[in-house]
Amino acid sequence: MNQSQDIMFNIYNPVITYEHRADYDMIVSQLQEIFPICNQGKCKALEVTDDPQKQKQINDLMEKVEFFSDSLINITKVFFDQLYRAKETSSQSISKSMAKIKIDMIERSLLERTCDVRWWALEKAFWKCITLSNAAQPTASKTSLAPRAKSGPDTDYQKAIDMACSRLEDIRSSYTLYRDLVIVNSMGIVVANSNSERKSLTLGLDVSDELWFQKALETKDGTAYHVQDIARSKLEDQPSLIYATAIRTEGDEYGDAIGVMGVLFDFQGECQMVLNDYLPKGPKGDILDGWFSFFTNSQGRVICSSDQHFIPFGATPELSRSHRYLVKPGESHVSTSIFFGNRSLLVSYHTSGFNEYEGLGWTSHLVLPITAIFERGSDHKVFGITPKELMSSSLIPAQNRQTYQEIQRNKADIQLISINGIVLATDLGKAGKSFMPIFDQITETGSSTTGKMELLLSEMSSDMLQQNLQALTNLSQQAIELIDRNLFERAADVRWWSTDHVLWESLQGTGKKDMEAINKRLQIINASYTMYRDLVVADANGRIVANSKVENRDKLDGQSVSDQFWFRQGMQMSKLVQFAAQDVCDSDLENENTSLIYCSAILENGQRSGKPVGVLGILFDWENQAQPILAGCLPLINNELVHGGAAFYVNRDRVVIATTDERHFPINKVVNIPPENVNLKDGESASGIFSTNDRKYIIGSSGSHGYREYKGLGWTAHVVRAID
Amino acid sequence: MLYSIFHLGPNLIGVPIYSILEIVRSSKFYPIKGAPSVIDGLINLRGKVVTVINTGIAFDTTQVAISEESCIYIFKNNAELKELADLEIDENMSPDNIGLHVEKIEGVINVEKEELQPVPANMAHPFYQHVVRRVDDFIIILKPSKAIILNQTETVKP
Repeated sequence: MNQSQDIMFNIYNPVITYEHRADYDMIVSQLQEIFPICNQGKCKALEVTDDPQKQKQINDLMEKVEFFSDSLINITKVFFDQLYRAKETSSQSISKSMAKIKIDMIERSLLERTCDVRWWALEKAFWKCITLSNAAQPTASKTSLAPRAKSGPDTDYQKAIDMACSRLEDIRSSYTLYRDLVIVNSMGIVVANSNSERKSLTLGLDVSDELWFQKALETKDGTAYHVQDIARSKLEDQPSLIYATAIRTEGDEYGDAIGVMGVLFDFQGECQMVLNDYLPKGPKGDILDGWFSFFTNSQGRVICSSDQHFIPFGATPELSRSHRYLVKPGESHVSTSIFFGNRSLLVSYHTSGFNEYEGLGWTSHLVLPITAIFERGSDHKVFGITPKELMSSSLIPAQNRQTYQEIQRNKADIQLISINGIVLATDLGKAGKSFMPIFDQITETGSSTTGKMELLLSEMSSDMLQQNLQALTNLSQQAIELIDRNLFERAADVRWWSTDHVLWESLQGTGKKDMEAINKRLQIINASYTMYRDLVVADANGRIVANSKVENRDKLDGQSVSDQFWFRQGMQMSKLVQFAAQDVCDSDLENENTSLIYCSAILENGQRSGKPVGVLGILFDWENQAQPILAGCLPLINNELVHGGAAFYVNRDRVVIATTDERHFPINKVVNIPPENVNLKDGESASGIFSTNDRKYIIGSSGSHGYREYKGLGWTAHVVRAID
Repeated sequence: MLYSIFHLGPNLIGVPIYSILEIVRSSKFYPIKGAPSVIDGLINLRGKVVTVINTGIAFDTTQVAISEESCIYIFKNNAELKELADLEIDENMSPDNIGLHVEKIEGVINVEKEELQPVPANMAHPFYQHVVRRVDDFIIILKPSKAIILNQTETVKP
């Protein structure tokens, strides 16, 4: 054992619990008592026998006992340090992954937003409305520009405004995570918005002095957009996160900028959900004292927090420099300091972005009271694993495992010495009887001290197990929430696209030219939204009439899909807001073996409710999208995947539908995990231990509970770690 | 009288302390070609050659393997037994030192004469001498002079 290593948690450290200090005192004082007993034994040997060989044998035994007691005292000195270090290290890495989960969740949502605004800005109703608005008052004073205030016979213009507002409303009813969407003319006057409750406050507002408007107007083409980091805007009373891009002449991606579309993301609502998630809650559901979670922007100011009272918007929280100025993607910092009067563990994690998307430079912070790291877990479920098995598992740091073995060895050695002592004493006959209490005492002390130490170690290992199970459960919850959110986006996409005027207009036509128009339209959509393998439109008879991918067209054109689930679901819809999803299956629409198809009805005359004239089906690039999400939810220690770590999604039939470990948990195979981990109700989580393929795993599982209008398909996410 | 107890599969077996010379950790055996499989091999104890018998094989349970907990009970030879002071036991041991390789030691217990009960007839076995009842367990007491001739039989079916 390395004695020179600094003892960080010596027994006088205030974080050591009272019980542990008492245990330490007990162990050390008992072991100290062994020395005088051994001395007594050595003296007695001289007294009871003249045989020098016997004297020496007894003397040797006593010396061995002294040696092992001494060794146990030394172990005890570093023992508590090791226990506390193990807990601290594991808490730190778990807290770090929690801080990361939170920022990842938000960043992924923000990434989707960048797609949205660029696509919507091409909508015909918007550029028409803006063109009219710009033409109507090229010279008038700004204040009189408010369209609402306009009195006059300009009915075309008014119609265009109504149309634009109605299309904005349609978007908002498909994509419910926006608070409002606005279009602004070249002068900076808001011409139309989506939120009818705020119409009177919003229309006619002059936003020409706001950065998002100016930047969006400067964008060079339809692929560019601007994000305004959380700031105050005239459009809302609360701080806003605005995505904006230019509206261009005739909806041409490379046309001149004639106005701006701005969308106001419900940032607070999203963040609040994410921040409050994963924080431990009391019986009444409130977050426990001393736990905080918040995001800061690149200036180190709070943009959202789990406790508005202590950490309000715009504040600069009392964090040391190294926590405030994290700049590199994925950079993190962990420290202990005083936070609102509590000695706390502070963990900060700077956003790592996704692929080329860098995010807005936000940092996620998590604060928890130091006492939470070291307190004994309260509900310790029995998982059918013996303390010994657990103690030798890979969950326990190598150093602690080594200590455990050392204690076991010393315990066995002391026992053996005592028995041999008793054998010797017996050989001495009546004279030897006086040795008996000595060896009894040695046996007693040896087994009670090592027993106590074993107990403490097994306590620690069960705490570590509990902690790791919790961490895996959090990761599985993240995995299912990320996929729920992602699939919500797909639901929003399909609902919105099915309202496209080209689709219903062309389906109501009959000519070859009409279908060509749909093909083209789908092609443009698919080019912006690359997470789809193909987009197909079937007419009311269930024949495919158009699709986005040219290479599939010959195969698909005219193919009958009338008996396919997605088509039949689509034809039963009668409202704009409806959609359906077909669970992952092997579809003949494409060559891949796992397809996930979303569908929505194309309604007659593009109305909000009515009769379907066809169905839009979108084929989500499931595996390639799901796999990176799972990869982001793997358990890491020091940025490396833990031994035997894996994550996978399982559908209702317990079949794996996406995985990070094709070898042990292959796709399309039923997975052998405990039923209580699969039979989860909406949003429920479970954890446990199971064996498969001769390997023992711990597992955290979470069931889908959907997200907003997307209700989930009964899938579960699982994150596992091998422990042997 | 004191007995040392060890584990034999699910059973607890006791041997009288007086018959033991020493208990040592098991580490390495010197294998003997041609010896019955019940014999693990030879060990050297301070110059004495000791034949070691595997209790697992001898009593037809799982073979005892060398582990952190496994031990060898080395029995006194006949001469050593007779040297004992104050001993009033009329028993003859083997002229050689014999070792019993056991998987784990349980400890030492003191058993009064009255507690020693005869082995029930239906489980009678030539090497079982007595049965002792302790709270939840039965402890089978071996007759050491018999136990050490285990090496002369291949396996013993109770």
